[in-house]
Amino acid sequence: MSASANGNVDVPEWVSLAANQSRLSFGLAVTELAQRDDSVVAIGSDTLDLIGLRTLQKEHPDRVVDVGIAEQNAMGIASGLATTGMHPYLCGYAPFITARSMEQLRNDVAYANQRVVIGGACSGISLAVSGGTHHAVEDIALMRSLPNMTVVVVADAHQGWHATLATQDYDGPVYLRLGGRAVETPVTPIDANFEIGKADVMRAGKDVTVIACGCLVPEAMSAAETLEADGVDVRVINMHTIKPLDRDAVLAAAAETGGIVTAEEHHLTGGLGGAVAELLAEEHPTRMRFVGMPDEYAIVGPTGQVRDRYGMSARHIVDACRSLR
Amino acid sequence: MPEKSNREAVLDKLREEALKVRRNSWRALHAAGIGHVGGALSAADLLAGLYFHFLRLRPGEPEWEDRDRFVLSKGHGNAALAAVLAQAGFFEESRLDEFYAYESLLGMHPDIKCEGVEMSTGGLGHGLSIGIGMALGARLQNKDFRTVVMIGDGELQEGSNWEAAMAAVHLSLSNLTAIIDYNKVQQSGHIHEMMGLEPLAEKWRAFGWAVHEIDGHDMGEIVDVLDALPLEADKPSLVIAHTIKGKGASFAEDTYLWHNNAVTDEVYEKALAELEAQS
Ligand SMILES: Cc1ncc(C[n+]2csc(CCOP(=O)(O)OP(=O)(O)O)c2C)c(N)n1
Repeated sequence: MSASANGNVDVPEWVSLAANQSRLSFGLAVTELAQRDDSVVAIGSDTLDLIGLRTLQKEHPDRVVDVGIAEQNAMGIASGLATTGMHPYLCGYAPFITARSMEQLRNDVAYANQRVVIGGACSGISLAVSGGTHHAVEDIALMRSLPNMTVVVVADAHQGWHATLATQDYDGPVYLRLGGRAVETPVTPIDANFEIGKADVMRAGKDVTVIACGCLVPEAMSAAETLEADGVDVRVINMHTIKPLDRDAVLAAAAETGGIVTAEEHHLTGGLGGAVAELLAEEHPTRMRFVGMPDEYAIVGPTGQVRDRYGMSARHIVDACRSLR
Repeated sequence: MPEKSNREAVLDKLREEALKVRRNSWRALHAAGIGHVGGALSAADLLAGLYFHFLRLRPGEPEWEDRDRFVLSKGHGNAALAAVLAQAGFFEESRLDEFYAYESLLGMHPDIKCEGVEMSTGGLGHGLSIGIGMALGARLQNKDFRTVVMIGDGELQEGSNWEAAMAAVHLSLSNLTAIIDYNKVQQSGHIHEMMGLEPLAEKWRAFGWAVHEIDGHDMGEIVDVLDALPLEADKPSLVIAHTIKGKGASFAEDTYLWHNNAVTDEVYEKALAELEAQS
């Protein structure tokens, strides 16, 4: 972002094109990368509009291969392409591109350690009206359990852009967890620095820390504001990289504040909360609370309402922080 | 010729139900505000034929153990399934106004907890394997219920369908029928531009299925093929139903743009007016 002659700030074109949807900023960034680097190729699975690949398809038709509704095939093709020196960006729905292609993911991508970047749109319960077949609330656990895999959860469209660009020279396979169609509240700056594995401290604080990812980051910020009015000083960390986890940021929060709340749109089993707890249990036992999806399948309904029903709203983060006091 | 007029009367009744499936699909999609218009409307005639001519069901007793089984593998067509289930009496038609609503059992995809729904679907490429399990369950328990699975054409790109295609033949499941809603369009474009399926009938024949192709909007052809099931002894039957995505709404026909789209008041009124003109 640069200041123009009249003093206004130039907002880059991708910001408006992404329309606050990280699935689109991912597609726009893949398009940008394809222009910079001849090895970049997008692999779709009937997802040209979902990911916003029409421009790339029009300008470089040979750099977009949509293999149809066939996620396992797409994953294997991506792996094979990577072995030849290409850098494939796989574009799918989070629930299908992870769970459906899991064996290809494990063997052909993670085990074979191929440079495949996987963009999973509509993660969590962003498509709440779709029902359980379309919710992805186990994908972080699945992806985090694979050696070699890097797992990034973007908080908004801005971060979707920067995180995708950050994969350009990054080694090994990467999973980028994206939102989808539901409202995504912008919470990170348009021109933020992004480094894979380096958490963003969004708010300094000394009483309690909320470590959040994805759409729970804006909820954590609003919870912190509520608590500030009560005189509680909350640190908020956007833990966009679940793996490798930013150990320093977690250990500092454990040492410097009175407890840790994790917040994620994911099952309480095996996600961000699990990753933080595994580290702290060994290195610095700390009082914790976990905000996330309980051990059940979500009902159908408007996304915000369903999130709230299962305890994934700002008010639940507030309660969790208070219970640590 | 009383027999012929009887057939015409049967067909007229089914055509009326099909029209109502379209109207009720729009009703549900309008209540939701957005949804899978194209694939609901392409399947409307087939669903009316199945539920009002073929399937042996007891709507008042949805768990009746000898009922025929129907699995909508292309689960995103749930507006049409919900419509036909309501018309068949599994629940009140007024529940269609709760499509996508908070705590509703009628979401974008079928939910096994809803009366009349045999399997939760939505992830594509699952239904045929499930249907094999149901057909096998009937055989192993000496039951004569029949199993029908409806699959989308784009859905056939999922490899699991072809594993199931092999298994159904190997197991000689003549009590299993698959119907392909061959509307030639998927989510991002026409099938032949995305990942072509042709020669489709030859593929299934080569796998060993008994195959019959129909116009999936011609009620006479629908009824005839259903009456002829199983098409051959000891083989699973495949009906390739040539259909038009978005059938019955001129603005939505044969285009991926109406695979999943917003259904505003204006769209709804237009759609109903077009259906009115067709009745
Ligand atoms: C495994 C899986 N991948 C992707 C999707 C997303 N999706 C929903 S409908 C659809 C297109 C389906 O096309 P088709 O089978 O031709 O259905 P129809 O034209 O009858 O609506 C896609 C890709 C999904 N539901 N499941």
